[in-house]
Order: sequence, then structure tokens, then C-alpha cells
Amino acid sequence: MSTTKAKLKKPTLKVTPSSRVMNVSTSGVLRVNHSSTYARSINASVSRKSFSLAADSKILDKSSVQTPKHTVQVFDENGKDVTPQPLYQPDPAAVMSKHSKIFASDTSGGTMSDFYSTAYQTTTNASFAGPFTRSVFGSSTVSRGSQSTMESMNEEIEDPSSKRDVSISLSDVQVRREEVKELIKEEMLDEVVDRYLIESETLWLLHMPAVSVSVDSEEAESVKERNNLYMELCKNRMGNDKYVERSMQTFNGAPKTKEVQCEAITMVDAATTATTWDMYDSFRSAGLGEAALSPDTDKASGPEIVSNHRLDPTRAPERTMSVISTTSIASASSSRIEMEPFVVPSEDEPDPELIMQSEKFQQDLFVMERVILENIYQPKLAAYRQLPTLEDPDIVPKVVPTVVSRREESSLDEESTLTPALERLWSFSCELTSGHNVSSMAWNKRNPDLLAVGYGQFDFKDQKSGLICCWSLKNPTWPERVFTCESGVTTLDFSASNASQLAVGMHDGSIATYNVESREKTPVIDSSDCAHKHTSPVWQVRWIDHERGASGEDKGETLISVSADGRISKWFLRKGLDCIGPVLPQSLKVVGNLSITLTSPCSQGPLYRITWSPFCSDVFLSCSSDWTIQLWRQDLFTPVLGFTSTQSAVYDVMWSPKWATVFGAVNEGRVEIWDLGASILDPTIVSLASPGVKLTSLLFATETDCILVGDSDGQVSVYQLKNLTVGEGTQVDALDDIIGSTLASQL
Amino acid sequence: RFSAVFIFSPKQAEVEETLKRIQTHKGVIGTIVVNAEGIPIRTTLDNSTTVQYAGLLHQLTMKARSTVRDLDPQNDLTFLRIRSKKHEIMVAPDKEYLLIVIQNPSE
Repeated sequence: MSTTKAKLKKPTLKVTPSSRVMNVSTSGVLRVNHSSTYARSINASVSRKSFSLAADSKILDKSSVQTPKHTVQVFDENGKDVTPQPLYQPDPAAVMSKHSKIFASDTSGGTMSDFYSTAYQTTTNASFAGPFTRSVFGSSTVSRGSQSTMESMNEEIEDPSSKRDVSISLSDVQVRREEVKELIKEEMLDEVVDRYLIESETLWLLHMPAVSVSVDSEEAESVKERNNLYMELCKNRMGNDKYVERSMQTFNGAPKTKEVQCEAITMVDAATTATTWDMYDSFRSAGLGEAALSPDTDKASGPEIVSNHRLDPTRAPERTMSVISTTSIASASSSRIEMEPFVVPSEDEPDPELIMQSEKFQQDLFVMERVILENIYQPKLAAYRQLPTLEDPDIVPKVVPTVVSRREESSLDEESTLTPALERLWSFSCELTSGHNVSSMAWNKRNPDLLAVGYGQFDFKDQKSGLICCWSLKNPTWPERVFTCESGVTTLDFSASNASQLAVGMHDGSIATYNVESREKTPVIDSSDCAHKHTSPVWQVRWIDHERGASGEDKGETLISVSADGRISKWFLRKGLDCIGPVLPQSLKVVGNLSITLTSPCSQGPLYRITWSPFCSDVFLSCSSDWTIQLWRQDLFTPVLGFTSTQSAVYDVMWSPKWATVFGAVNEGRVEIWDLGASILDPTIVSLASPGVKLTSLLFATETDCILVGDSDGQVSVYQLKNLTVGEGTQVDALDDIIGSTLASQL
Repeated sequence: RFSAVFIFSPKQAEVEETLKRIQTHKGVIGTIVVNAEGIPIRTTLDNSTTVQYAGLLHQLTMKARSTVRDLDPQNDLTFLRIRSKKHEIMVAPDKEYLLIVIQNPSE
């Protein structure tokens, strides 16, 4: 620091009367003296006064920045006095004794001014100057410092901040001095005060040896002599042997340029990202200590290692098999072999095939198919589930024409949009089922999205092999399970307790149960070994839940079947299906056709279906090939109501699970939805079938307002009931009212 | 070109059938199965397109998987769907292969 340097130079500063600086300083001092005298008597800020004297200097401008108070006080927002206290507290007593020196000493003042001028020249960080000036000089020099700073400021214009700081310090010091003076003034104004003038030690700052010596000084003689000697020397120099001129020359070697070039240093950037999962994997593999899991972070090598390891033990037998198959070309059942000989399967070649066969791949294919179908069928499925359908934002061009047409339609057919109608959503069909007649449909009891459809002919002629397909709502294009049976399927039912058990009744009288969970194509149990099996088509199978355990029987479900040979059998699922003979149908809610024909011979022609109302426990419907649907009550031997709409056999009838007065029926050419609350003469909704196709079965969806209609071509179409508003009032009452009123009218 | 297929298991036949079915669904533009190195195993698109799809989707799948696992290391990516203006790209990723299907759902 320059100030420290200044400190060191302190003792070396020599003052000579010839110095130019001093002259100026004395004048400065005189000037200052003037101001100081005033300072003593006036309480105002000395700094201010001094600045007013130096009118020509720029400091005036800078001083305006200074606040003209003799105490600089800082208050924070609470009004507390947080004035920064100076680091150096000059001893007031010492200050007092020395302050008279300001006026008296010319030379000493000069030294100080010298010091300060140089100090300022070298000082860069003037904020240091403030405290340093005070601390450096101690009490004896503070006063001098103050006045000389003023003076140097007058002479040299340094940066304003430094001046400001110092002037603040100056004012601080001045203040202290003045305070001290105050005390003196009041008490001892008239007293005689002794003043002692002592010279302080000299501070050397710069020593410039003089080029001239005064004649009066002691050295003058020696100097003169030396000068004379030198002059003589110079004179003698010309021809003197003592002084010979010689010249020297150094050899400068010829510069030679040398170049060095090294091989380009190849830089390789290596970077790695420590991801959370990476650390987790490494930790896990390190913790498990398995060699199989490769702990290295390189992902490229990772899968290879893993795949090789994983595939090796499991696929080895298949690989050996593939070797065998190459040699025996004839044994390959359905493979496309290339012309090139496939000698030894290399390490890589079987891998793609192994990938294709892996479980994961099959799973992915399965999911992918469902995703694709979801994309295709999303609006339909949403309608089925009664969710608002989202419009695809990308189908822009189609919007315009439909908007126009819709407007026209809406203006014309305002009423038609409100009439109840069936809207076709989609249909379950695939090439496997085409041509087969849908004979029965059943929902899975646990998963309402799973549908089992049985395919089989009703009549004796054209008996094809039967088919059972389990469809999922998520894939209307391909069934989840396909089971083939020897004879046509006539009836299906899912078990409620064991949701994956499906009982099937067939045209040849046999009954089988399938487990739809597994991928096996064969039935779990078959009735073919049973001695008492049915000999005629089974019209209905049902799982009946025993609420009360009869003697010796477990509480659970039993399978009941009704067949055309007049028997109702209860089956036990033991090693094979075994049945007990005819069972009285009293406790049974759903009874096959035969029992009714025994009791009520009012209908001609075979009854195709009997269904009990889910709301009124003693009301049931029957439909037959005599073109009628009939509503019965259990206690009456004649039907309460009969419904006829067309002259075609009614194949299926079913109550709506949601409304007591609504039921649906399919005859050969149409689907009819009847709402007894609205009309008992005409169906509320009629939907025609496609030409050439006969509608053969009907099923209501349990959760939504949809119906499923199976036809003779193997298609199961899903329709949504739209705008079907059923009258208010409790459903059961409504039905009872209708029946009651009808009976009353009949009497 | 490698195209020999040895169907020595009923599973294989089922897999082929499912693949064929997927390809014939409404709106499906292409189906690609590539192995971990990017070599196509089954594809219905031309080679350059296949390689392009496989390379780009492989990177995206890695990034997606990294994201999923970063959030929860015990989780893993099972399916990735990218819906664009023209079509939808569906990717079923695995360590050993990539199953890619491109579908135009609005057809």
C-alpha cells in the first residue's frame, strides 16, 4: 500500500529551504492558518470554511456533496443512532496540546504537506487514507494532517471520493478538537496558558541529493577539491596514456529458427450421466451379487449380455430342435424355407426367432393389438360406456360437410332425434364365426366386459360343429378364446362363484364345462361318460346358487340342465359329470321350456325362451315360434298379455335388467323393444335386420343401455338404446299396475 | 435377406397370426419388429423407412425409459404412444426388441 510506503518514508523526509515544494507549502500553511484561527472561535465546520477559501479549486463542487454538519450522524429506520464510530479515537488531551502547532510551525507543516502531497499522488484507494491518516500519525500529527490535507486538496485535484472521505475524517477530527476547545473556552478563558513548542521527529519521504552544495557548508572544501580534481582529469584525458580508448565487440551468434511440432494430441470426451435408475440398478446388482446382472453402466453391452444369458438356458433345447429340423426338411409343418441351405444356426440367427417366441413379445403383441383397436373403436366404446365421445382434432376435412348436413337434418327431423331408437355401435365377428348361427350369449359374472357366445344351429338340419367364443369388449375383431365342440352349442352360462367356469349345453345332449382362464381348448369336464346324460338337445343350463345348504350338500352352485327329452337334471361335478334324475322345478327360477309346456298348453309350437322378470318375482315372459310373446304370472294358467307384431317366429326374449316394464325380443327379421308402460300393443323401438340374415338371440347389457343381437351369420351386434325414457314411479308398481289393469279389464 | 421361418411350436404360429391380424387392422400403416441392434426382424415397410423408424424410436424409448426410471427406479416403461397430426406411433419396448406399429386412426 502506498500509505504504508509513506509510513516507511517518514523518517527520511528531509526538508531543505531550497525545495520548491516547501515554498508552496508555506504559503498553503499561511492560508490555512488563517482558517484555523477562525475555527477556534466559530463552531462551524472548519472544513467548510477552508473550502470557501479555496475558491479556485474544484473542491468546492465536491464539497457540496458533503453534508454541512459538523457531526455526521446516521440514523436507521428506528431512529437509533448508528453513526459509524471512527476506528481511531485520538486522545483529546494529546490533541489539545499539539493543536497550537498548526499556527506556529512553518517547516513542520511543510513536512506534513510534503508528505500528504506525495501520499495523495500515490494513494489510489483513498478510503483507506481517511482512517490511515488518523491512525498513522497519532495524536501529534492529526492536526497537521488535517490542515495539510486541505492544502493539498487545494493544490492537486484527486478523485473526489478520496477528498470526501478525508474531509469527513477531517471534520470528525475537527469536531473533536472543537469539542475539546469548547471545554477550555468556558472554563479557562482568562487564564494564562503555557505553551510548549517541541519539534517532532522528522519523517523522510524522499531524498533527492542536491547537485549543489552551499559554499558555507563543511563539505564545501572537499567538494571543491573534488571538483578541481575532476576538472584536471578531464583536461588530461586527451593525450593521456592512462586513458585509452578501446572498443569491444561481442559476437552475436546468428539466430537460427528452430521449430518443434508434436503430434496432435487427441482429445477424447468422456462423459457419463449418473441417473437415478442407474445407481439403483448397480446397487441392486451389487447387493444381490448376481453375476448375471451386468453392473456396468454401458447400456449397449448390457442388453446383449443379459439377453444371451437369459436366452441360453431356456432356449437351448429349442435351438437343438432347430438343428434337427434343418436336417429333416420334410418334418417342417408350415414353414417357409429359403433356397439357401441352413446348415448350422449361428449364434445370431435363432435370436430373432427366439425374440418372436418370447412370452414378453406375445404380451406386447396382445397389448399392441388392443391399443390399435382402442384407437379404432374409441368412439363406439365410449358410447357404450355412456361416456362423452371425444372428437379427434385431426379429422378436420370431414367436419364441414357433416355440419351442413346436420343442420339440415336437425331442422327437419327435430322430432326424430328424440324418438327412441337403436343405434348400432359395432359387432363382434370374425372369419371363424361367419356362417355360424348365434344361439346363446352370456355375460361373465365377474367381468362385465367378457361375453361368451355359443354358435349352433337350432334345427336338426345343417348341424355344423359347435363353436364357443369368448369375446372381450376391448377386441371386437377377434375372440379371446375359441373352443370348438362336436355338436352345435345351444346354451351357455357362466358360473357366479367360479367366474371362469363356463357351462355349455349342446345339441346332442352333452354338457361340458370350460375354464376360460386357461388357454386349453378342451373342456374341463364332459358329460359324455355319464350314463344318464341327455339324449336330446339341451335347451338350458344354469348354475344355481344354493342359499340354504340342503342335507349333506355343500353350499355352492350346482348345474341344472333342461333338455328336450323332458328331463331336468342336476349335475355334480365329480370325476365326470354325473346327474341326478329329474328334479322338481319348484325352487328354480329359470326353467326350461318343457316344464311350461306341461303346465300351460296355450301356446302352439315350441317355446324358445322363458324368462322371469328380474323385478317381479312371479311374472315371466315366453316367446315361441307361433309369432307371440306372452306374459304370464305364476299363479295363473293363462297368459296375462300377449304380444304379436309380425308373423315370424320369435326366437328370443329378455327382460331389461334396468326397467321393469321393458323387454326386448328378436324375431326373424327385427329387434323389438317393448315398453309396457308406453304401449302394450306396439313395440317402442323396432330395428330391422340386414336382408338375408335372421336375428336369433338377444342379450341386454347389465351396466349400460345396450343390447346385443346375435344373428344367423355369426355376428353379434351391439346396439345402444337411445332416448328411451321410461315412465316414473317404481318399476315394480308399474308392471303390477299394468297386469292388474289388464286382468281387471279381462274380467 | 433373412426370411426363413421355422414354426416348430404352436406359439409361434399364434404369434405370426397375431402379427398378421395387427397388420390388417383398420388404419395400420406399418408394423416393425427390430432387435436390440436395430436389425429388423419383421417389417411391412421398406428398409430405409424401417431403419429410420427403428433408430429414432430406439433413442426416444431410451430417453423415455430413463425418465420413467429416474422418477422411480422401481418403475419401468411398458408402452409408448406418440400421437402426431397424421398418425400415431405405438412402441412396445423391451431390452431385446422394439415392436413398432404406425396407425392412422382417422382413416
